[in-house]
Amino acid sequence: MNKTTPIAIFIVVLLAAGGSFIWFVESSGSSGSTNFSATYNSTQLIVLYANAEGWNYNSSHPNPTLYEKTHVLLEFKVIEQDNLPHTLTINPGINESSTNTVLSVNIPAVTGSVVWVNWSFANPGIYTYWCEVHPETMVGKLVVNSTSSNSTNASVVSSVPPQVTNLISYSSSVHYKITVRDEDDEVW
Amino acid sequence: MGFSFVLAVFGSTIAIIVIMGFLLYYFAVDYRKGLLGDTNSALPKTESNTMLSRMRRELSFSAFMMDDSKSIGIRYIVTSIVLFFIAGLAGIGMRLSLWFPNPSFLTPIQYNILLTAHGTLMLYGWAVGGILGLTYYLLPTSIKLRKDSLGTVSSIMYWMYLVGALLLIFSKSTATWYFYYPVVDQLTASGGGSYSFGGLIGVMLILTATITACIIFLKMIFIDRDKSIRLSSLPLFAWSVVSTAFLIISSAPVSMIADGFLIYDLINPIFFQGANGTALAYAIMFWFWGHPIVYVAVIPAFGLIYELLPRFTGTKIYSYRAGVLSLLLLMVLSGTVWGHHLFNSGLGTVWDLIFSTTSFIVAIPSAMSVFNWIATMWVGRVRMSVPVLFIINAIIDFIIGGVTGVMLGDVGVNQLLHGTYAVTAHFHFILLGLTTGMAFATFYVLFPTLTGGRNYNIPMAKVHFYLTSIGTWIMSGFWLVGGFAGMPRRVAGYFGIFQTYQDAAAIGGVVLGIGYLIFLINFLYSAYKPVETGTGNALEEEAVA
Repeated sequence: MNKTTPIAIFIVVLLAAGGSFIWFVESSGSSGSTNFSATYNSTQLIVLYANAEGWNYNSSHPNPTLYEKTHVLLEFKVIEQDNLPHTLTINPGINESSTNTVLSVNIPAVTGSVVWVNWSFANPGIYTYWCEVHPETMVGKLVVNSTSSNSTNASVVSSVPPQVTNLISYSSSVHYKITVRDEDDEVW
Repeated sequence: MGFSFVLAVFGSTIAIIVIMGFLLYYFAVDYRKGLLGDTNSALPKTESNTMLSRMRRELSFSAFMMDDSKSIGIRYIVTSIVLFFIAGLAGIGMRLSLWFPNPSFLTPIQYNILLTAHGTLMLYGWAVGGILGLTYYLLPTSIKLRKDSLGTVSSIMYWMYLVGALLLIFSKSTATWYFYYPVVDQLTASGGGSYSFGGLIGVMLILTATITACIIFLKMIFIDRDKSIRLSSLPLFAWSVVSTAFLIISSAPVSMIADGFLIYDLINPIFFQGANGTALAYAIMFWFWGHPIVYVAVIPAFGLIYELLPRFTGTKIYSYRAGVLSLLLLMVLSGTVWGHHLFNSGLGTVWDLIFSTTSFIVAIPSAMSVFNWIATMWVGRVRMSVPVLFIINAIIDFIIGGVTGVMLGDVGVNQLLHGTYAVTAHFHFILLGLTTGMAFATFYVLFPTLTGGRNYNIPMAKVHFYLTSIGTWIMSGFWLVGGFAGMPRRVAGYFGIFQTYQDAAAIGGVVLGIGYLIFLINFLYSAYKPVETGTGNALEEEAVA
């Protein structure tokens, strides 16, 4: 037997085993390491009906714009409405992007089935929630404000704050980049 | 365009692979001539391959460029050992992470990736690949092959198997080796849906390679064996290959069809998900193959015990006919028991009872084999060499694993133990003790041939044996007890009351890992010693030196 054969096999085994282990446990891609739900101190229920015509199509406000806060656990209760495959995908920015998603969850195509998706945002900003199967019709905005110090009970902001209105009109024209700020900063 | 680091790495890797390929090809031509001599290497390929496949052959990377049966066997053996260590390290990673009840250094997603890699690589890479390798290596000499044709097909199938194994590694799927709905479809950052395509295609490539290799084995045994070997005196290892090959050919295509449907479903669900299909249909089609693959890993190990025992006890096997009957009964019966994996899935009481009954019946041929081995050792004089230690351990582990398997085949007990570590303990006893143990026993028997006349270091080999044997018992034993206490498997964390069992199993896993590492060091150490014995081995007495 060639003397280099055993040492080659030994090195191949060690390198393959070690390299594969590192490959298995390393977080995948650039978004992997940041894709963890933030800590939270209160929860908020959001009900969404998945329908190819639009989110919550049968209600008075299809594709509602949601106003939420950082560090609040958002419990999305997604209810299938039309027997078609849907996903609940959320990505930062005002445009749909399937590459840089915060989360993407499949909704089973059986009417009435319910999927719970829990998420809490660490960074304020404007997000897009949509369905990857029906990106034209099922798309809405999710505006996340930072948790301000004087509203610790984390009630949902039901009306549009003036700063956010400015942000939307501003950001729809040019490239908008989400900036990460400290929580105590004055945002927007 | 500026300098791209990624491009540089890829480019140099491809260049190195091309250069290495050329060098390997160059040395392979040389090696072939050295084995056959100048006149014989000019013969037509089938004839020279037949001559090559009846020789004793040592480990050489030239095997990757030659396509006689022994070279293909060496390829599979080397590849499956590498895959075994990859999957083993993944398993040890899981054990260590489970030292604490809460997920410690592995997140649940990372744990699931390791779980999937461990399962798929151990079964499709190590068990199936190792068995294909040993069969390609041992079968030609044991049936005195007359004509070694279809080498090109075998070679292509090997490369498909290798690509399939690489896809399984690179897929990073979290779907576990079942690829069940809805786990296979989760679109999380490292989840199955994004990457399960790779895993599924890898499984299908490996299954294609396995089925084709099995057809070639059947052709070797029934058409191309030497006329002096009658069917009634066919070696028992060849009978075990017949049994395995029929089992694979009759059951694997069903799973491949299910995998193909599943790939459609991942794009847009029509078969197994949604209003017009059930996820249970996939589970049924999967287990139609999923149970036979367990016997595919076990039956050739039976054949190896049947071949090795007479050579180390100095007698013939106690009953040849009972051995053949047992192997063929296993082939027939093990195809009918797959439903016992789905007792809790709602197949109905009648089906549950039928599958429970067949699961009990399949214990009969297994016990026939076990008693045959015990009787052979009883009448002969057992030489306690390292392979015999592995054989005895394999028999004991198979009895324990088999008895717990029959317990799991009871519908009522299954209600309690389904999804607990008792199941894991059951199949680790069998796959570690019998399949892996017999593969390493065969490697030790073949050691002088594979290394060209070197002996392994016997104390080190005994340490390897005792560490793996004790490690199996610690790990699987504590799993079994914990499983009866209700410890759930396939989870990245557990309740604190189970910590004793999990910690003990972690220790057992580390002991196992050290044992297999010692095998590797023994191989490296012994192969560097000077040539001291002949290249003969007990399994290939008839082979040309």
